[in-house]
Amino acid sequence: MLITGVSSPLGARVATRLAADPAVEHVTGLDTRRPPGALADTITYVEADLRRGELAGVLKLAAPDVVVHHDIVQFPEPGRSARSLHDLNVIGTLQLLAACGELPALRALVVRGSASIYGSQPDAPAFFTEDLARAGALRTRFQRDVGELERLVEAFARRHPSVVCTVLRLQPVIGATIDTPIMRLFRSAVVPTFLGFDPRLQFVLDQDAVGAVVAAVRTPVRGPVNVAGDGTVSLARTLRRLGKRSLPIAAPVYGPAVAALARIGTLPPLNDDVVRYLRNGRGVDTMRMRRDLRFVPTHTTAEAIDAVALAIRTEHGHGAAA
Amino acid sequence: MIGPLRLVRDLRRAVDLTARRLRGDYEEDEWGFDPAFAATADPLLRFLYDRWWRVTATGTEHVPRAGRALLVANHAGVLPWDATMMATALRRGGLDRDPRFLVLDWAFGLPWASVAIRRCGGVPASPYNALRLLEQDHLVMAFPEGAKGVGKPYGERYRLQRFGRGGFVELALRTGAPIVPVAVVGSEEIYPKLGELPLVGRLIGAPYVPITPTFPLLGPLGAIPLPSRWRIAFGEPIAFADLGPEAAEDRALVLELSEEIRDRIQAMVLANVIERPGAFR
Repeated sequence: MLITGVSSPLGARVATRLAADPAVEHVTGLDTRRPPGALADTITYVEADLRRGELAGVLKLAAPDVVVHHDIVQFPEPGRSARSLHDLNVIGTLQLLAACGELPALRALVVRGSASIYGSQPDAPAFFTEDLARAGALRTRFQRDVGELERLVEAFARRHPSVVCTVLRLQPVIGATIDTPIMRLFRSAVVPTFLGFDPRLQFVLDQDAVGAVVAAVRTPVRGPVNVAGDGTVSLARTLRRLGKRSLPIAAPVYGPAVAALARIGTLPPLNDDVVRYLRNGRGVDTMRMRRDLRFVPTHTTAEAIDAVALAIRTEHGHGAAA
Repeated sequence: MIGPLRLVRDLRRAVDLTARRLRGDYEEDEWGFDPAFAATADPLLRFLYDRWWRVTATGTEHVPRAGRALLVANHAGVLPWDATMMATALRRGGLDRDPRFLVLDWAFGLPWASVAIRRCGGVPASPYNALRLLEQDHLVMAFPEGAKGVGKPYGERYRLQRFGRGGFVELALRTGAPIVPVAVVGSEEIYPKLGELPLVGRLIGAPYVPITPTFPLLGPLGAIPLPSRWRIAFGEPIAFADLGPEAAEDRALVLELSEEIRDRIQAMVLANVIERPGAFR
């Protein structure tokens, strides 16, 4: 099988799990950056940029029966600027799917999508089911990206009925090893909140995000599947469990205030998705994940937050000792 | 001796409760319902129920003690005090349940109010939310008149508005939940609506901004409801279980049942208006 985005922290963990699985014959990993050392020894690493056409040759050579498209990026990373994200997500997927179309042995495609496709609206259903994506306007850049990406996957699935195409719509992933704006917020001294708002949040612990992708490789299901820890937790309760102070900011000045704090380095830069999530929150229904994917996360949303709280406290403990 | 000891104990309990709250060590369900928060509103609600509106409730025994049910009520009074009084009446009637209520979506974009409503058991009025709540065997309160109900002019205060497109009947059919018709009389007089400020409404995105004898004349004080006398009547439940979930697809049937329930609630409202000694006595 073949996995893209193998050098990202989560992608590497998915690849490690799959390489250790006796049912998986061989793992080929694609990325533009070298994977961590230990992983590079167990899989075949191919340096490839999804946005370029050379992909078809690589895929034909690897001849995978399952392709995991894990190289979906929501936030800028070193070497991947904010301006390149759209190209990575949409053009990358387009090229990958074109190459996948020429693989006769392919039986399953697992795409790591995002629950961001549902957006964050005050009047939204409390728990989005899979059929409610794109019901409202797509408001943020990443939301439009995942919307377009899913349309591409749908079109591919229609043209290749023998390939089972799964899109996992993950709620924001948290965990000690994760470096996203939300995790950086949880690590910063204060967390800016919207004055007078307390959204319901829902998370996936990193190990469950990995587990869900592995489950989808084992039990491919057709169409989108929401992935989240059980239940929701309000932002106020989240911050209290993390032992963080909130900094309430009135909605009209929230954007400029947060941008100013980011400029002086007090806060990580927050994109539209994160800001909207911190104002309105979001919940997804996970019935399909349990029934069809047959995956049950090890941690509920509340337990995931507690696990992160414990990890952050331990980090601080080490920091003080050093 | 007992007095001071009890005070110390109560104080310690309060401090303990606050400390747990600050640690985030409290209950909250997946809807954001926060029982401890909801309980803090109790003294105010009890005062409004007993002293301010002197509520008389009948038929609380019709509300199921367990299992899913949909309470369908008329809606009036600008702010959703009717939902809180219905819940208080049920608690008085010995019902040990936390009813959830469907609230106009618009309220969830408001600062503070949205948080308080959610923590007390309110959810955005979306059919998806109602369906999930009923499937979880909750007691759900719905006000099919919606914004048209709370915004009706004073002269038409006892006349029920259109019941939307009958979505609540569809929900009952699909989930097999019985519908308990509820008539609330008295909420019509708490903020007598004399007119509207449509321009202001459009400016702040509100469904309507009312003019009452005290608002906007007295500013925020205009939010204090008038002390009318209330009656809340819970009617006999209407069961749809024998029709089956497929019946929800039958538009004609849904509209017919919706009309029937509206008529029944209308009759209950008028009967209770007559039985009430007077609007403010």
